[in-house]
Amino acid sequence: MQRLPLCAEACEEELASTSSLESNLEGLASVLEADLPNYKTKIIRILCECVVKLPEKQAVYTTLVGLLNSKNYNFGGEVRFLADLVNCRVIVAGSLLALFDNFVEVTLEDNIPQVRSDWYVYAVLASLPWVGRELYEKKELEFQKLLVTIDNYISKRQKIHVPALQVWLSDQPHPQEEYLDCLWAQIKNVRSNKWLEKQVSRPYMAFDSVLCEALQHTLPQIIPPSHNEEIMYPLPTVIFRMFDYTDVPEELAIPGSHAIERYLIEEHLSHIINTFHLERKDCAAALLSFTTKNKIPLDYMITEVMFGHLFRLPTSPYLEIMIGSTLIELCKLQPKSMPQLAQATEMLYERLDTMKTPCIERFANWFAYHLSNFQFRWSWEDWSECTQVNPLMPKPKFVSEVLHKCLRLSYHQRIKDSVPESFQDLVPVKPQANYKYEEEGSAQLPGLMTAHQLLEAIRSKCTPEETLVLLKEVPNPLADDTDEPSHHPLRIDVFVSTLLHLGSKSFSHSFAAIAKFHYVLKTLAESEEGQICLLKTMYEVWSTHPQMMVVLTDKLLKTQIVDCSAVANWLFSADMAADFTKNYVWEIMHSTIHKMSKHVEKLQKEAEEARDLLDAHKKKIADGLDYDDDDDVPTEEMVERMEERLELVQNQQKRLFLIIFQRFIIILTDHLARCESESMDYQTPWYKWVIERLQEVFLAHHGLVFRYINTLESLLFTSDIDIHILEEIIEYHRQGS
Amino acid sequence: SRSEQERQLLESSTLYVGNLSFYTTEEQIHELFGRCGDIKRIVMGLDKVRKTPCGFCFMEYYTRADAEMALRYVNGTRLDDRIVRTDWDVGFKEGRQYGRG
Repeated sequence: MQRLPLCAEACEEELASTSSLESNLEGLASVLEADLPNYKTKIIRILCECVVKLPEKQAVYTTLVGLLNSKNYNFGGEVRFLADLVNCRVIVAGSLLALFDNFVEVTLEDNIPQVRSDWYVYAVLASLPWVGRELYEKKELEFQKLLVTIDNYISKRQKIHVPALQVWLSDQPHPQEEYLDCLWAQIKNVRSNKWLEKQVSRPYMAFDSVLCEALQHTLPQIIPPSHNEEIMYPLPTVIFRMFDYTDVPEELAIPGSHAIERYLIEEHLSHIINTFHLERKDCAAALLSFTTKNKIPLDYMITEVMFGHLFRLPTSPYLEIMIGSTLIELCKLQPKSMPQLAQATEMLYERLDTMKTPCIERFANWFAYHLSNFQFRWSWEDWSECTQVNPLMPKPKFVSEVLHKCLRLSYHQRIKDSVPESFQDLVPVKPQANYKYEEEGSAQLPGLMTAHQLLEAIRSKCTPEETLVLLKEVPNPLADDTDEPSHHPLRIDVFVSTLLHLGSKSFSHSFAAIAKFHYVLKTLAESEEGQICLLKTMYEVWSTHPQMMVVLTDKLLKTQIVDCSAVANWLFSADMAADFTKNYVWEIMHSTIHKMSKHVEKLQKEAEEARDLLDAHKKKIADGLDYDDDDDVPTEEMVERMEERLELVQNQQKRLFLIIFQRFIIILTDHLARCESESMDYQTPWYKWVIERLQEVFLAHHGLVFRYINTLESLLFTSDIDIHILEEIIEYHRQGS
Repeated sequence: SRSEQERQLLESSTLYVGNLSFYTTEEQIHELFGRCGDIKRIVMGLDKVRKTPCGFCFMEYYTRADAEMALRYVNGTRLDDRIVRTDWDVGFKEGRQYGRG
């Protein structure tokens, strides 16, 4: 028994060991052989674990299984699915092929989502680099047939989702290929090379004479489970490429985009990141000790894979800061060769004109973070051309967003001093609260008196009620004889600007002010118009401090002073037009949608759990099992109330999406009409930002939008809307179906 | 007691953040740590006498998972050119914000 942990350890050790892999494997095989009769299940379990956790070392384990199998036929029959076992003479080639056939047959099923057939085809293609040669030698005809079926499938796949997932709008300089298309091209390449590749380690070669004498297993028939609504399949991706051989020093060749080695290295690097992403230092170290590091331009490939993860659409698989902090570790470990991170930044910058908006945003956020870890040193002069063009163009906009994010991590003077004079127009203005009731020329402002009284009262720690009494003095500009006004803009303006001014010292001061006067704010902003007015006042005070607006809006939502729909309406309002393409507006928008979704999810979970509890309890009573009063069981009435509440919130969520898409359509339609009447090209920089934000909202929340698609379609997406906007929606709709 | 404190540390979603510059503001800290998750509260450490920031703060997240992310990705990186140190904290209590300055 004490020898057992040895198996896992020995496997690990072997990976680090410098002595011959083959002799280690042989030694390990004889140790394990002795333990097999007693600890078979355990050994198999550990082996399975090793294979799952270290797929790139798969060949080591298959060889080990092969060696064990050659000594003891009873062993290998239980380890299945590994194509590599065919190479080690554990599994009969024909039976693996039968398994592949079953997988590929999924492509012929009717009424299934494409992601299902994609997944099975991918599973087959991804194992072909290992076993292709063997199948080609042993089962050429059948193998050929399989490949023809795959080829047919690949050629008739829907690829409508591709443009939405691409990082760049252009295929120059590198095409952004769909993942299955790309892998198929790589497989076709290795096939034309007689299935010989240069990346996979094949330790079993040394044991060929032993292994070929073993008795081989036939896999039992394995049929993929049929499709049902519950099964989730991985979503398609596109392959991110930013380098080719011309970017890399001559002595190290980067495999071409359709070379199978490119796929194998990328897969392996992605797998390392996935294994170590929770430990950035280990992650960096593991990436840099890549097995074939001396034969490939490793730093370039790591950079490409890392940025590929960062820019993955609709969402990055990891926190953006994971990528950022791991890149910093890589720079620390490899100070000499990581300058190509700077080269990569230059390249991404040069390609900004065709980069998608959400990716530009992530790029800016990462770059500011990276600069803040390296004293904000950058050769800005190289980019000075961007100061000469329309500031709405991607490059100047990227630079100003980077500087804005740098400012958030630093302070104004520092950022101002770290860029050349010519960049000053792109440096954000110094953030400070603007309190109009204390500025010069404020004497004529209506409400001035009350503002000053409020200032005094709040400073001398008055109660919320006392402020309401003071506010009573202010006349309502909306008042007329007929209708009761929906809100009181002047009161809101006077109170909110005074309160925010007094709390302007820090976030905490502002939060404390909001908390203390929560009741007043809630009273003033009862209607949605009132809430929008409150947000506008906040903008007047803090327009130079986007981060403050982000956290204040967040606070106002969390304390339920404003609703999500009010925030959305405010962001689309004319008052925000000047800032509409700035990232912070979308930071607020996405966080608002996110909060709404979280809220719905929470209530949904609670209602479902309560309903389950109640049902279970009822059943128990019906079965005569449980008579005592359980406190945890909700009453029918309570559950119904929860369900009503859920329905209410779901309707709010639906309304939020309706507002967002409606407002998108209005501003885009206005733009198109204006361009037409002025005979201007509608494809302006503004249009690019806005249409890509629309796409982003669609894509990032596709699950939710899809749930409400019927309502959205009937109310918004009618044939009256302009063809360019309609195209977006049609494209989106096809992706969902 | 000690075991009680250990239990609290295992459940906490609050971090102690140290080695900050005295000039580093709550806003800057928010920007960096906000990249790891939704922040509930930041309590700036203050000099007992002068009531000015003195190089540390308490960072409370809504969830422990987000605090774990901060520990993973922020600890040991730079803010205002200083290497930020983070560690689990049992949770902020009034009075603990006053450091020795």
